[in-house]
Amino acid sequence: MSIENFGKRDDVAVMEAFVLKRRTFLKNASVLGAVTTTGLFAPSILRTVKPAMAQGADLPVGLLFSLTGSVAVVEKTLHDASMLAIEQINDEGGVAGRKLNPIIEDPASDPATYADRARRLVIRDRCISVFGSYTSASRQAVLPVVEQRDNLYWYPTLYEGRECSRNVMYGGAVPNQQQQEFVPWLAEKHGKRFYLIGNNYVYPREENNVCKILLDRLGGEAVHEEYVPLGHSDFSSVINRIRAEKPDVVFCTLVGDSDVAFQRQFHAAGFDPAETPVASLTRSEIEVQAMGGDAAAGHYSSAPYFMSYQSPENEAFVKAYQDKYGSDAVTHFVSEAAYFQVFQFKKAVEKLGDQELTAPAIRDASVGVSVVAPQGEVVIEENLHTSLWPKIAQWNGDGQAEILVQSDDRVSPVPYWAYEGSTCTAEGLKRA
Amino acid sequence: MDSAIFFNQLFAGLSTASILLMIAAGLAIIYGSMGVINLAHGEFVMLGAYATWALQTFFGLGMLISLPLVFVAIGAVGWLIEKGIVSRLYNRPLDTILATWGVGIVLQQAITLGIGSQSRFVQRPEIFDGNLFFGDLVISNYRLFILGVSLGMLLVTYLLLTRTEFGTKLRAVIQNREISECYGIRAERVYGLTFAYGAALAGIAGALVTPLISTTPTMGTTLVVDAFLVVIVGGVGSLVGTALASGLIGEASAMLSMIFNDTTGRILLLVAIILLIRFRPTGLIPQTVRG
Amino acid sequence: MTSTLRNDFLSIAAFAALIVLAVPLFFGFDGYELNTFARYLCLGMVAMALALSWGTAGILNLGQAAPFGLGAYIMAMHLKLMNSTSMPGGMPDFMGWMNIETLPWFWQPFHSLGFTLLAGLLFPAAMAFAIGAFIFKGRVSGVFVAIITLAVLVAIQLLFVEEQGYTGGQNGLTGLALLTIFGVTIDNYSLNFYYLVAASLLIVTVLATMLSRSKAGLVLRAVREDPNRARFLGYDVSNYEILVFSVSAAIAGFAGMLYTLVLQFASPTYMSVSFSLSIVIWCAVGGRESLIGAAIGAIVVNMLEGRLSDVFVEAWLMVLGVLFIAIVLFLPRGLYGLAVSVLDAMRSQDKARHGTTAKTGEPTRPGESASTSPTASLSAGE
Repeated sequence: MSIENFGKRDDVAVMEAFVLKRRTFLKNASVLGAVTTTGLFAPSILRTVKPAMAQGADLPVGLLFSLTGSVAVVEKTLHDASMLAIEQINDEGGVAGRKLNPIIEDPASDPATYADRARRLVIRDRCISVFGSYTSASRQAVLPVVEQRDNLYWYPTLYEGRECSRNVMYGGAVPNQQQQEFVPWLAEKHGKRFYLIGNNYVYPREENNVCKILLDRLGGEAVHEEYVPLGHSDFSSVINRIRAEKPDVVFCTLVGDSDVAFQRQFHAAGFDPAETPVASLTRSEIEVQAMGGDAAAGHYSSAPYFMSYQSPENEAFVKAYQDKYGSDAVTHFVSEAAYFQVFQFKKAVEKLGDQELTAPAIRDASVGVSVVAPQGEVVIEENLHTSLWPKIAQWNGDGQAEILVQSDDRVSPVPYWAYEGSTCTAEGLKRA
Repeated sequence: MDSAIFFNQLFAGLSTASILLMIAAGLAIIYGSMGVINLAHGEFVMLGAYATWALQTFFGLGMLISLPLVFVAIGAVGWLIEKGIVSRLYNRPLDTILATWGVGIVLQQAITLGIGSQSRFVQRPEIFDGNLFFGDLVISNYRLFILGVSLGMLLVTYLLLTRTEFGTKLRAVIQNREISECYGIRAERVYGLTFAYGAALAGIAGALVTPLISTTPTMGTTLVVDAFLVVIVGGVGSLVGTALASGLIGEASAMLSMIFNDTTGRILLLVAIILLIRFRPTGLIPQTVRG
Repeated sequence: MTSTLRNDFLSIAAFAALIVLAVPLFFGFDGYELNTFARYLCLGMVAMALALSWGTAGILNLGQAAPFGLGAYIMAMHLKLMNSTSMPGGMPDFMGWMNIETLPWFWQPFHSLGFTLLAGLLFPAAMAFAIGAFIFKGRVSGVFVAIITLAVLVAIQLLFVEEQGYTGGQNGLTGLALLTIFGVTIDNYSLNFYYLVAASLLIVTVLATMLSRSKAGLVLRAVREDPNRARFLGYDVSNYEILVFSVSAAIAGFAGMLYTLVLQFASPTYMSVSFSLSIVIWCAVGGRESLIGAAIGAIVVNMLEGRLSDVFVEAWLMVLGVLFIAIVLFLPRGLYGLAVSVLDAMRSQDKARHGTTAKTGEPTRPGESASTSPTASLSAGE
């Protein structure tokens, strides 16, 4: 076996070459005296390249959620939801008779590591799809890898839109899906003076852009717009400003720890939710669990899914999730998407039938795929985003949401909603 | 109206300062007396928060009752770490940065693996619910409580260092370890207890701060940098300096964030701190005990 | 002196053989596989930059990630502009979202690759020069240098995150073009690209070694041992400190530029505190006294992370933490120290009367007593 053959990546050849390569290396290494590094190569033999495409073999799919570091708070739950879906699919015979083989990587909440681990999943493990990640920064770090290799990245998170990659399956809401009913509803119920507070990155800024456009149309105003660094946890200054501005609604796009800290301090400062409600686009059951039901009670969220939603699919999902991960585990609108995206993937693969299984083929097949998700029946649109069922809910003291408004129909994703002339189409981004 | 914001911000700064002081006090003691740069300090804060959570969740203990238990528990963890790792590095101060960084990772990961990565909810004591109103000035009872505790902590620590036998021994060891040992002071015991005390203070800080923020395995990492700046600005080894620096930094960040915003305020604050260290590296209150 | 030269030559040759031959051979000369390793080499380069200031001159720079990040952004600015030619006004997309009307003046020159490459080296160096002059002219030293550099790092990172319209904020600069140099487009997954990075690292290794062996390097070592004594001998200590601080920043900037090419994005996390501390850890693991040792430390730790996270999916970070503690306790001079001790032991077996330990027994850290010789260090953990 020579080095040239190795380039062909024929399955059996790869296995052999791998072993051989190792021997050659050891020989060379000892000659060079590079003693210290050799030990490191050893474990690679434990996970050699898998013969991925052989008929009837397991289907390798990557799972790229942080299990350590600051983002693990959320991404561990997404990981759990994806694993639950994979397990359920495998228990029922897999995808077209083939079991899903989840290959797990831990990108440790660091964008550079996301890129590196994505590369491993796509190149070394030859996954035909990768499910992963929560933050925009991590998605953008993975993007060059999946685009370069024409692979498929299933991204379950709500995000800022104005992206139109042909290699990402967007399962979460874009701004128009969360806001176009929410903002007018808030304005009518509470008033048109909004205080916009978010973490300082692209998602909150874009959501607030959309919010300001909507407010403008309604004749409302954003009395103050403010951004704090990610992870910021001291909100006394912000709260003092809110006290001074007396807005009708605090429109909140803080995420994770910042959201928890803000809401606890806001609540402790004695604001009445009936008078100054916090309306969040990012708050889900996990944040509410962390901040305590009392702190969140009476405030609003808009999302396509809440754990308390009544549907047979959701009951089954919540039950299965809690059976597997404990009765205090909660499901939320991102973990629900992480869950249903695996089923979307399954349907797309099955649609392909006997055709060759490649990431682009799966992408093309996935357009139009409809799955009855816990939130309702969701459909993948031509622009690879998903039509969803937005809901407006008010939090109760027990940490669950009471759904007040459910949209009459699926709402289509418009990733460039705020940018006239730009449309995300099946051919990618079109500018007028 | 404007003056209301100003006074509210003044109190906000005081509140920030009290939290900073609680976290930095333990660090200042450890660094000031042992020269150990303890990067695991944030993790002691985190452990304090989790200990409170565990006592609350599994034993139904309220926070106030939990505080002494947290103090002892985190102190014990600190003592073990000092005995096992830090005590081997006293002649290599810079290496303590590396070792305690490793300790921080291990503690964080132990919590992630043992308890899980999701954030936890810690209830604050109900008697401190509510706010005091003085016209437009609003003061949260709980923040006032934290302010009180941090001042109490400062006083107790000061008395411990100056009025007790342990404090005398510690100061003797700081001045000259060899000679103190000649007088029968067991330096390694003094160091162990000092480290444990510093860790225990961090644990208390964690317990008290966590109802205001969220309880996650990574909550400590962001706190430790600020605490370090406080210690250095205050002057190494000076408890009063640490208190003064906390006050100054807390108020400065509140005022700057009122005038600009939180991010710009923080950048300006950092610049000010850099200038201060450059032109007054001994800190606000220079060390007098140690050469 | 000649034996030092020979040792330098031999270790550089061995290092070259490792990254030019052994590693590509192991990965079957496969560009895709080697891309990951190219990333490690960039990290090795920034660790080497830190070793130059920390190991040689005793300046513990906790903000080494700052020049690295600046280099990365500078390269990314050029590549972003190259990818924005079809946009209105040739302006990057994220600027439009922040309602910026025209391309800011400080973005303009980055259309030129030549300017970009120069700026990637010189801008971090100039910045380090200014900060270094500010710090060292005031005779600030030890832990205060560490804290100031850390504070500078945090401030710069905050600034980059805050000024989203100019920097891309938290997401950084993404959606970059591939680098085109002299009409040739460099694919970051090609074998050639790996060799570009490897060659860069080797050139930096040679230059940095030359600097550390020059007269300036000798003076810096004297400064590390005792700044005041060096001053009494008539050396303007701060000038040498500023020099090595700036050169170290230039190398870090270079490493950052390559890093952007490898990963195809620049992120503010390249300037995070945890990343910056990681660089220190890599140096410590490899051995801060040795430039190549530091680079190998970075490579080894990053490979280890990759491997450990395969084997212990959730507990790998724990294993890594324990390993760090063990290395600090039992191998205070890192892998380099271990290698030296092993070599010394072998040599002293050969010639028992030859006093080699005395020569390599130079104290390694400022303020450390001479009693901590390599032989003592091996038994330091008992």
